[in-house]
Amino acid sequence: MPTCTDIAKATKKKREIKLVGIDMYIITEKGIPKFDEIGAFKCEFISNRGTKVWPGFVSPDLLQVNWYRCRFMATKNVQDADVNTFLDALTKKGWWWSAAQKLWNYDGEPGFSKAY
Amino acid sequence: MGTQHVVTMLPGEGTGPEICEAVRLVIDASGVDIKWEYEEIGLDCLDKHGTLLPDKTVQAIARNKIALKGPTTTPVGTGHKSANVTLRKVFDLYANVRPAKLIPVLKRPWDKIDILNFRENTEDCYAAIEHMVSDEVAQCLKVITWPGSYRIAEFAFKWAKANGRKKIYCVHKANIMKMTDGLFLDAFREVAKKYPDIESGDIIVDNCCMQLVRNPAQFDCLVLPNLYGDILTDLCAGLVGGLGFAPGANVGDNCAIFEAVHGSAPKYAGLKKVNPSAVLVSGIMMLRWMKEEAAADRITKAMFAVLEERKHVTYDVGGTATTDEYAQAIVDKMHEKA
Repeated sequence: MPTCTDIAKATKKKREIKLVGIDMYIITEKGIPKFDEIGAFKCEFISNRGTKVWPGFVSPDLLQVNWYRCRFMATKNVQDADVNTFLDALTKKGWWWSAAQKLWNYDGEPGFSKAY
Repeated sequence: MGTQHVVTMLPGEGTGPEICEAVRLVIDASGVDIKWEYEEIGLDCLDKHGTLLPDKTVQAIARNKIALKGPTTTPVGTGHKSANVTLRKVFDLYANVRPAKLIPVLKRPWDKIDILNFRENTEDCYAAIEHMVSDEVAQCLKVITWPGSYRIAEFAFKWAKANGRKKIYCVHKANIMKMTDGLFLDAFREVAKKYPDIESGDIIVDNCCMQLVRNPAQFDCLVLPNLYGDILTDLCAGLVGGLGFAPGANVGDNCAIFEAVHGSAPKYAGLKKVNPSAVLVSGIMMLRWMKEEAAADRITKAMFAVLEERKHVTYDVGGTATTDEYAQAIVDKMHEKA
């Protein structure tokens, strides 16, 4: 008789996974970062504590800490090797980052939240 | 008449517009001079403006720095983001103040509950940082920062001191989430040192829930991170009569939005049967924020009297009155006393 774990595992579906971007977590004391296009990736938005601070208006009263989430979206079809190139270029430009999270689409649907 | 206040009214959707009209009727009859500026928010805006929160609404709130808001609908799971959360983010309304006080005429199994909840409103799991990190694993980042934690504690102690409250407890789960909740607790303790006249302490969130339902009278003020605050403030509302009587304020350094914490009940929209009390008591909070204590006291007294008489109360508290009839009864009661 299958266990509940067995039944749960059997529900796994095959999904098409496509790399579409990277969330970069940048640490800086210099305020909202500015980026040119880096390799195959272009910055789409930057948030701080979950609130979008670029592009668009940001209240001068908004509490910002020194940790920014910078969402880079691919400008063409990309592979994992493009992420390595991107990270290398970002580091060489002097950006200090705490983590990178690859962004994938699953069956064409984004597997990541939008910014507030 | 004293100073004229300009307040942005956000009727919201579903039953929001009819509730807000009833509340406006009562507040206008209280003697306070308010110029109301109506603006749109919520799902109803989507077709017209393509956004839940139009720029015109944002600009009006930024200009007036104070708003009274009816309920809006938050889609579950998919779809658009919550208009409420967006408002909090845009105006950095970091303190969600949720009083839970027994309304004398509503029979509850408790003698005394007067809890003031201070929920951190901008961080925690509400930072909107979620990823499907593999095809079968979802991850949500819980973001807790030192300044975000420090300022909600500072806000709570300041409010408590100004309002004669005696005791503040920090609610957390730092025994398990040692970094995130640990940071929240450390900031609270740092602030507490500056307020030696107010008793302070901490309590683990699960124990706090158990204590709240066993002996709620032991609590005075609670400071909570966002997620625990979301849950425990509804628990506290349930202790004192449900969300139908629960007020809320979202406060930042330069702006305050007062709102009912219940949903928009779209299935009752247009029927004029829902109880407007939650928006009304939020309006009373707003009047006190505006230093209009006399008007706030007048409405409170009249509302309690109408509830006590039970002749013109809505269906949820055992009556048959419409939203408008209940509001009009409060207005009549204020005139009676005048």
